[in-house]
Amino acid sequence: MKGDTIPNQHHVARLCDNKHIDGGFIQATAFMLRSGEESLSVNWLEFLNCSSRESEIDELRNTYSRKLKLGAKAKIAVLTVGEVREKALTESPDRRNLKVLHDPQYGTVNDPSHSGIYNLKHDDELIAELILETVQETYPARK
Amino acid sequence: MLGASTVYGDKFIDYHSPSRQLHSGVWDLKNIISQHFLLSVPMHIRSSPTSAVNQENRDVFISRWPEKKDPFTQTDLLANKEEQVQELILEIRTSPSICHGEILATRLVTLFYDAKEEDFANLGIVVASLRNFYNFSQSHTDLKCPTISLTPDNNIYASWRVDQKKVFSVLFLPNGDTRFVIFKPNDLHPERQIRISGTTTTDMLKAEVAPHGVWDWISE
Repeated sequence: MKGDTIPNQHHVARLCDNKHIDGGFIQATAFMLRSGEESLSVNWLEFLNCSSRESEIDELRNTYSRKLKLGAKAKIAVLTVGEVREKALTESPDRRNLKVLHDPQYGTVNDPSHSGIYNLKHDDELIAELILETVQETYPARK
Repeated sequence: MLGASTVYGDKFIDYHSPSRQLHSGVWDLKNIISQHFLLSVPMHIRSSPTSAVNQENRDVFISRWPEKKDPFTQTDLLANKEEQVQELILEIRTSPSICHGEILATRLVTLFYDAKEEDFANLGIVVASLRNFYNFSQSHTDLKCPTISLTPDNNIYASWRVDQKKVFSVLFLPNGDTRFVIFKPNDLHPERQIRISGTTTTDMLKAEVAPHGVWDWISE
C-alpha cells in the first residue's frame, strides 16, 4: 500500500540508464535525483511475489519496457534496503535517515511494485557514491 | 575501461578525421547524429542531412522532418547548443594539452547519444557543464583518464577509482563550480574510510583537494 515502509531485509531494484554506465560499470550518477524529483525511483522485488530473483527481474524488464525506452547498455541494480539505509546512516556526514517507501503507480502502464528512496537531496553526490557501494547484483535491463 | 563503450564514438572518429575537419568542415555532430538515428530511431531526427548521407536516406529523412513554422524556435536554440557541444568535444579531442583527449571525446560522443536516445528533445550534454570540464582538463595536463557519466540533469560527472578504496568524483556544474567527493582509507585505522565532500570553483579544485593526497593517485 502506498506509503508502506519496505522492510530492511527486503530488496529494491534501480533501473540505471545508458548514461550512468561506463565500461559496463554502473556509476554513482544512477543514484542521483533529477531536478524536481522527490525520491529515487526503485521497485520492491518481494512485492512482485515471484519464485526467484530471475523471475523478479524478468517481471521488471516487462514493466520497464512498457514504460520507458531502455538503452542497450542499461542495467538493473539490486540493493538490500537495510544495507542502503545503514550505509547512509552510519557513513554520511549528516547521518542521513533514508526512507524506502512503497509508491505504486497506476496509469497507462501499471507499476504496482514502484517505490521510492526518500530523504535524498539534490546535492547528494556523497550519498550516491555510498549507495553505489551497496549494489549487490546487476542485470541487463533488456531481455 | 572507457574503450569498451565506444561503438558510436568509433564511427564518429572514423567519419571525421582531423584533415577532413580542417579542409571541408565536414565535422558536424548533427550530421553524425542523423546518420546514427536514421539507423535506429529515424522518426526522431530533427537535423538536416548533408552529403555524407546517401540519397535514399535523405529522402526518408526529409519526409519525416517536421516543417518549421517559426523563424526562431526552441529547435534553433537546441541546435545552437548542440553546435557548442560539438565544438567543445572537438576541442577536447584535438587539444594537445588535454590528456587522453581522444578517449574522452569518444566517451563524450557516446554519452551525447545516450542522453539523446533517452529523450531526443534534450540537449544531450549541458554545454556549460561540458565547458567547465573542458577548462578543468585544459588546466591539468597530467591526469589519468576518468570514468565519465552524466547526472540525471545531463551534467558531467568524472570519477577516478583506485584500488576500490580510493574514490575522487567531481560534478562539473554549469556555473563554473564543482562539487567533489573523496573516499580514502584512514591511515591510522585501515579498516575505516575517510569521506569528504565539498564545493568550490573549478580553478580552485586542485588546491582544495590536494592536501587529501588526491592528486597523487589521479595523476600520471
